[in-house]
This record gives sequence, C-alpha cells and structure tokens, in this order.
Amino acid sequence: MTAGDLSGLTIKDAAQRIERRALSPVELTDAVLERIGRMNKSLNAFITVCVPQAREVAQAAEKMIGAGYHLGPLHGIPIAIKDNIYTRGIRTTAGSKILSDFTPEDDATVTARLKRAGAVIIGKTNLHEFAWGGTTDNPHYGTCRNPWNPERFPAGSSGGSGVAVAARLCLGALGTDTGGSIRLPSSVNGIVGIRPTIGRVSNHNVVPLAWTMDTVSPMTRTVEDCVLMFEIIAGYDALDDHSAQVPVADYRAQLTRGARGLRIGLIRDYSLSHVQPAVGDTIRAALKTLESLGVEIHEVSMPSIHGNISAQLTIESCEPSTYHQEWLRTRPADYGEDVRTLLELGEMYLATHYLQAQRYRSVLRKEFLEGFKGVDVFVTPTLPFTATPCGATTVAIEGHREEDMLSAIMQFTGVPSLAGLPALSLPVGFDGDGLPVGMQVIGRPFDEATLFRLGHAYQQATDWHTRAPQL
Amino acid sequence: MNPQESITADSIERLCALARLPLPAERRRALAPMFAQLVAAANELSRAMSDGRYRHIVPILRFPER
Repeated sequence: MTAGDLSGLTIKDAAQRIERRALSPVELTDAVLERIGRMNKSLNAFITVCVPQAREVAQAAEKMIGAGYHLGPLHGIPIAIKDNIYTRGIRTTAGSKILSDFTPEDDATVTARLKRAGAVIIGKTNLHEFAWGGTTDNPHYGTCRNPWNPERFPAGSSGGSGVAVAARLCLGALGTDTGGSIRLPSSVNGIVGIRPTIGRVSNHNVVPLAWTMDTVSPMTRTVEDCVLMFEIIAGYDALDDHSAQVPVADYRAQLTRGARGLRIGLIRDYSLSHVQPAVGDTIRAALKTLESLGVEIHEVSMPSIHGNISAQLTIESCEPSTYHQEWLRTRPADYGEDVRTLLELGEMYLATHYLQAQRYRSVLRKEFLEGFKGVDVFVTPTLPFTATPCGATTVAIEGHREEDMLSAIMQFTGVPSLAGLPALSLPVGFDGDGLPVGMQVIGRPFDEATLFRLGHAYQQATDWHTRAPQL
Repeated sequence: MNPQESITADSIERLCALARLPLPAERRRALAPMFAQLVAAANELSRAMSDGRYRHIVPILRFPER
C-alpha cells in the first residue's frame, strides 16, 4: 500500500491489519505525518503536530505488539485531539492567545484513556477561539478550511478535528460539543460525530465553554470507528462532578442489530422546515433509505421547540462570560474581536434571563421524554445549510434573505444540547456544489447505542461515508 | 417600551458599571444594537416561561438530573 492508501484506512481496517502484524504502527504514523506535512499549510487543521512524540509512541506500540501484547482496536492508531483538551507535556492553547504558552502537567481523562488504549496522539487541532463560535476562523492560529472546497468554512468549534478526519490527516479525532461544536463540523466536512449524553464522557481537564452543556466525543469517518473510540472514553470518572454512574452499553454488540423496527420521529413544523432546498431534499432521501430498511416514521408535535435559539444564546453567553470574567478585565485585547464581543455581551444579561432559559431546558427535556414514549429517535438536518464561504457572518437559507450566522447555526444542534440528549451527525449526501449534508439523529438519555445502530445500518446501505475530498 | 429602543450606549454603560467592566465608548456603542436584539429574544422567552402552566418548572442546572 502507498502512504496515501494507509492514511485512507478506517480505524477498523487499520486495527485489523495492525493486530495481525500486516501493518506497522510506525509506517501508519509516518504516512499520516507526511500527509499532515503536505496539507496542513493550506487547511490549517492542526495548531500543534506532535512529530517526535507520535513516532516514539508508534515505535513503542510496534515493539509491544511484536512481543504479543495487543491492547485493542486503538493500539497504534493515529488520533488527533482538539486543542482545548489537556495533553500532558504538549501545549494546549484552546485556540487562544491567552493560553498560547499553557502546557498541562496532566492529561484530560479522555486523553489518558486513549493513551491507555494505545492510541498515537498525532497532534492538537485548530478550533474557534475558546470553542466560542462556529466557524474556526481563528485570529491567532489561522483560518481553518474545508477540504471539500477550501474557500468554504469547516464550521466549528471543532473545525480542525472535522477537517483532519475528512482530509485523512488522522484516523479519528476528539472534539468538544456545547451547542453543536462536534456535529456542525461533522456535517459540513462529511464525517460522523456524536454528542454524548451529558455525564457519559468525562469533561475533566477540558477547557470549559458552558459548564451545563459541555461534552467531549469522537469524530470519525464511519459509525463503526466512532464506536471504537467511544467505548474507550465513555464511563464514570470520579474527577468530573457531572460524570454519571450509568453502565456503559456494549455498543459493538448492538451495532449489527439493523434498523428494522426502529421508530423515527419528525418534529412537526421543525424537522424539515426552514432549510436550504438541497438540504431538505437530501434528508428526505435519507429517510426513504431508512424506510427501505424497515424503519417507521412518525410526526410528533413539540410545542416548545421554537424557544431553543434564544435559550441557547442566553446560556452560552452567560456561562462563558463567567469563566472568562477575570481575563476579560485584565487581557481584553488578547481575545479575537468576535469572542471578545460575545463575552462582553454575556455580562449584560439579567439573572432572570439565565434562569428562565434554564427553566426552558426543563420544559424542552420533558417534551422530548414524552415524545420518546412513541418513537426511538428524532431526526433533523444537522445544519439548515451547507458550508458557507470562509469569513461569512450571514447565510441565506430561504430565498435571498440573509440571516445571522450564529443563530442560523444553532437551529438544530442546540436542541439536544439544551435537553441533555445524545445526538449523532452522519453524512447523507451532497448539494449541487459537491458540499456534504449531515443528518442529526437524537436519542434518549444514555441511549447512544440506538444512534450507533441506526447510523451503522444506514452506512451499510449507502456509500456517502466512503467518499473523500480531492486534495 | 420596546427594549430595542431602550438599549443605548448609556444603558450599556450602566450595565458595565454594575459589572465593573470598563469598556471604551466605541465598544459600548457597538454593543448596544447587538444586545438590544439579544435581550428582546431573552425577554420573549422569559415572557413565555412566566405562563402559569410552567409555574411548577424548576431550572435544570446539573446534568444528569439527580
């Protein structure tokens, strides 16, 4: 196989070859590092590339496997980590100037769990500054670009992780998701990403954005690969106050159960409303495919759904501004203009605005839990539009009326974030310009297994996830 | 009073004083129209959540719920 072929392997394929010693972790790591070296200048997916550390770990993995000790499917696999997740001894900037010299003395729990599973940490990915935004147009580390069209945005805030996975600059990546930061870049880069139930994956030693909504999770090319990473990082962590003592399912065992009999809910006047025509058509086609696999589709009413954007903006304004209160007074000029403005605005809300938004979450969650009595999952597009030009601050969704980008981005992904529910984004097609469209599947609390099951069944029946950008 | 009319650079200055957040005048002027939109949406949500049918609803500040 050529170096290009190696970086195109899925985690599952690479792991099988490594286990039977048909592929060397060193060879795989070198192939990925070589590709990063060629492409990162134009895509800006990585803030830090861990060349010596990655080679050292890959060599150790090779020796260990050669001696008969194989740790599992991530052993010797190059994985990228978003740069707001602590990595011991490796700079962790959170995409900011403020933390540009911060080198943690400890790993995040998720980093430690990946390392324990034998993963090779290949680098730290670019993000929207402090994860507070959805474009990854980073003023300190450069604009991250979409590999399907470098003039288009990769979304965010985990834009670098999304680009790295789509462009084959790693085999899988970790992102963080507060209001959509894993699912949005997964959608516009044509890959898979899951936001877990809050409490399912530890947030310990991850730079926070909004404490009551933050999560960490994998971004991969296939649902199966997502499971291979997720099963390593999921589970209780005593170091995280929000961590849940809920048993972790055997996701791999449930993956092959097929989609027959699952019930999908479409939320009336919401799931397929106010979307670009190509996005609506693509989601409808994906639903038809799922119906052909034996899925039932039901329409469900959810009267409170339309307060979501205001609630998300309020909570995502107030909580980051609380975390950044000191730096905003002592180092205001060190923030990029957009994040500084959002942090200043977050100081202006009344306590009653914040608490009413948190009460709204309670209402929304109750409506979802009621809805789950009749369906197993809910489906929406991940984004109402496909990738916009880099630097755009507005987007046209219906006709020519331009809408504010930040609010438009939140239309669908904010809902499960507010309701504390897991949600998977998977690629389901392309628009007329060859830009990927993602579908969001929302599940019951702690029922990530059903999302993986449905997503895997869809990917067994389609080939969207196998397509790669021409670079 | 329409909140969009009531939020001015002076309102922002008063809020900044309360928060002890010193901002130059040009930043206060720039924030006023943005905050006017945000506060209008937040007030609308607050109005909806004040409906009697939600009187028993408590905020969720911690997930998973305990």
